Amino acid sequence: MYVYNEREQQLIEERVEQYRDQTRRYLAGEIPEDEFRILRLHNGLYIQRHAPMLRIAIHYGLLSSKQLRKLADVSRTYDKGYVHFTTRQNVQFNWPKLEQVPDILGELATVQMHAIQTSGSCVRSVSSDQFAGVVASEVEDPRPWCEMIRQWATLHPEFTYLPRKFKIAVTAADEDRAATQVHDIGIRIVRNESGEVGFEVLVGGGLGRTPVIGKQIRPFVEQKEILSYIESILRIYNMYGRRDNKFKSRIKILVNAIGIDKFRELVEADWEHTRNSELRLTDSEINRVKSYFKPPAYEHFDGSDAGFENKLKTDPEFARWVERNTFNHKVPGYIAVTLALRVHSENSNNLLGSRFKATGNLSESQLDAIADLADRYSFGEVRSTHEQNMVMADVKQSDVYSLWKALTELGLARPIIGTLTDMICCPGLDFCSLANAETLGVAQQIDERFDDLDYLYDIGELKLKMSGCINACAHHHVGHIGILGVDKNDESYYQFTLGGSATKDASLGKVLGRSIPKEKVADTLEKILSVYIEIRQEDERFIDTYRRVGNAPFKERVYATDH
Amino acid sequence: MPLIINQQRAELDSWTSLLGDESAGGEEVLSVDQLSGDLLVSWEQWQKNRPALLSHDGRVGVKIDNDFELGDLIEDLDKLSLIALEFPVFSDGRAFSQARLLRQRYGYQGEIRAVGDVTWDRLRFMHRCGINAYEIAEDRYSDEMLEAFQEITVQLQGAADDPRPIYRQ
Repeated sequence: MYVYNEREQQLIEERVEQYRDQTRRYLAGEIPEDEFRILRLHNGLYIQRHAPMLRIAIHYGLLSSKQLRKLADVSRTYDKGYVHFTTRQNVQFNWPKLEQVPDILGELATVQMHAIQTSGSCVRSVSSDQFAGVVASEVEDPRPWCEMIRQWATLHPEFTYLPRKFKIAVTAADEDRAATQVHDIGIRIVRNESGEVGFEVLVGGGLGRTPVIGKQIRPFVEQKEILSYIESILRIYNMYGRRDNKFKSRIKILVNAIGIDKFRELVEADWEHTRNSELRLTDSEINRVKSYFKPPAYEHFDGSDAGFENKLKTDPEFARWVERNTFNHKVPGYIAVTLALRVHSENSNNLLGSRFKATGNLSESQLDAIADLADRYSFGEVRSTHEQNMVMADVKQSDVYSLWKALTELGLARPIIGTLTDMICCPGLDFCSLANAETLGVAQQIDERFDDLDYLYDIGELKLKMSGCINACAHHHVGHIGILGVDKNDESYYQFTLGGSATKDASLGKVLGRSIPKEKVADTLEKILSVYIEIRQEDERFIDTYRRVGNAPFKERVYATDH
Repeated sequence: MPLIINQQRAELDSWTSLLGDESAGGEEVLSVDQLSGDLLVSWEQWQKNRPALLSHDGRVGVKIDNDFELGDLIEDLDKLSLIALEFPVFSDGRAFSQARLLRQRYGYQGEIRAVGDVTWDRLRFMHRCGINAYEIAEDRYSDEMLEAFQEITVQLQGAADDPRPIYRQ
């Protein structure tokens, strides 16, 4: 993984001291509230319903075991002993004290972690494919490019006071696991007709109040000019993006307002000046960054491990988990393993009187244990995923059985990846000051109703995403089934959308009908799924059936009984 | 109003503003007795009084809004000794782009002055974008704020102060 050199390390240490001084001046009354709000957001600190929330960057999801242990340590010393992984692969502390945040950041800087630009109207951390580097089909590893973009964006003097937040994702595989079509800029590493590797660039995607699928701005940008191209997009956005209404300030609104063709014209007129400038990447820089992402020292195996194959035949529970929670590795004898970080009552730590453990949460002891397992089985690295799980990407097949046993004990081996209960779910009313509705209790309701694994497997691939408000942190618009919590006279109600997708065939879900009360959520899901089971053809996934038949049959079933 | 120029407190400001009452937009046609010394005028005043301003005994500066299209100004750059950029509120960063374009793309050599919401925590970014003068509200000025320029000494990307990204430094 990428390691900061002396100067980069100096930068994050200086940033900690700069923020320490900003906090001191704020507490001394020298910085007004409005101004400090923006300064703390630039450093990842929100003020939430109960307490501040500090978001730490995990660039493109990559974490070392050393960093995991530091997160565990910080959560013990400064917080309540757990952390929360987000849909943009970052990690959050939910209970830090404002005065202690500079000390927390100082601790994190010792393992090359920081909170720079994890919130606020600036370029956020770059996200990517959790299986980068191990997917056979990828054009090349996207992470070096994420890293080069990260460096360009870090404390960028021109683009730290943008109209609104700005999110970039990079992917290189055919299946899009980074949701590039719903990012402000989506970058796909592609090969052109002459075999040259470069970037297809999408712009203006996003969720929130106004969900939009990103549009292609340029089919191919040569590798060395990717930073100049992004810089030109950011400049046009900075100068022309709306600032009068925060709900209309994302780049998607600008692109829609003037049209992609006009937007492209503006960007490319600017690019005439930025291309072939100092921003052009050099061979030596590209090679330097790539050298940090070389494959680890894999052992050589001819084909699959016999012991592993044998366990698959003799232990059906293990086989079931392997089928659901692992991913093929491009190197023979290796496999990538997904740890399920899901709401589930059995494993819930009784945090703060809440009965539920939120999706994406890990306790400090789980973090330490994962760090040990990563050291033993996966070259000391893990990845956080956009779907709020965690991945050990380089596990020897001969080690997988022991790893599975250990993960089972940690409550991280439920074989549900890709199924209905592998749902993305925001923290909702229990934790978030923006939320309109409860989500954790509803997730629990769903989890309890659909606990029959055979049923889950029969349903097959299903992306369920639930947000507790219109800000759509759980990306409900791009769930095969999306659930949006709304408030009706102080009661939580839930609106269903069907047919969304965040992958290569991206689409936005359509609203099924009026919202339904909380106690009916699992019933409603069951009705939707019963229609699917009745009318699906052969191996059709839910999303395929939906695309074939549309909303009508589902709507009819869900609203049939209460005319 | 305290003024910082080239990272130091400037005791004297040679510039007289003819911008007048912001809400009224200032007088558009200037009278002859106003034309003396270094004058900061609005874009409209500059347009309407060009010959008089060019021939008076002093330098001319223009203040532009942050949604101003720089293209209109480019031909006049060699006649202007100061361009004042407006930062209306702490969250608004449009003038950062204007500053970089003036310095890096159009090669403007004169003074670029930040006016409006100009405080400690954006000085370094302003400096990096090519701004070299800063008008600070009285109640927000302190000599300590000059430290802002030294808080972060590493720059990963190029800007007006040094166009080289870290891989070319």
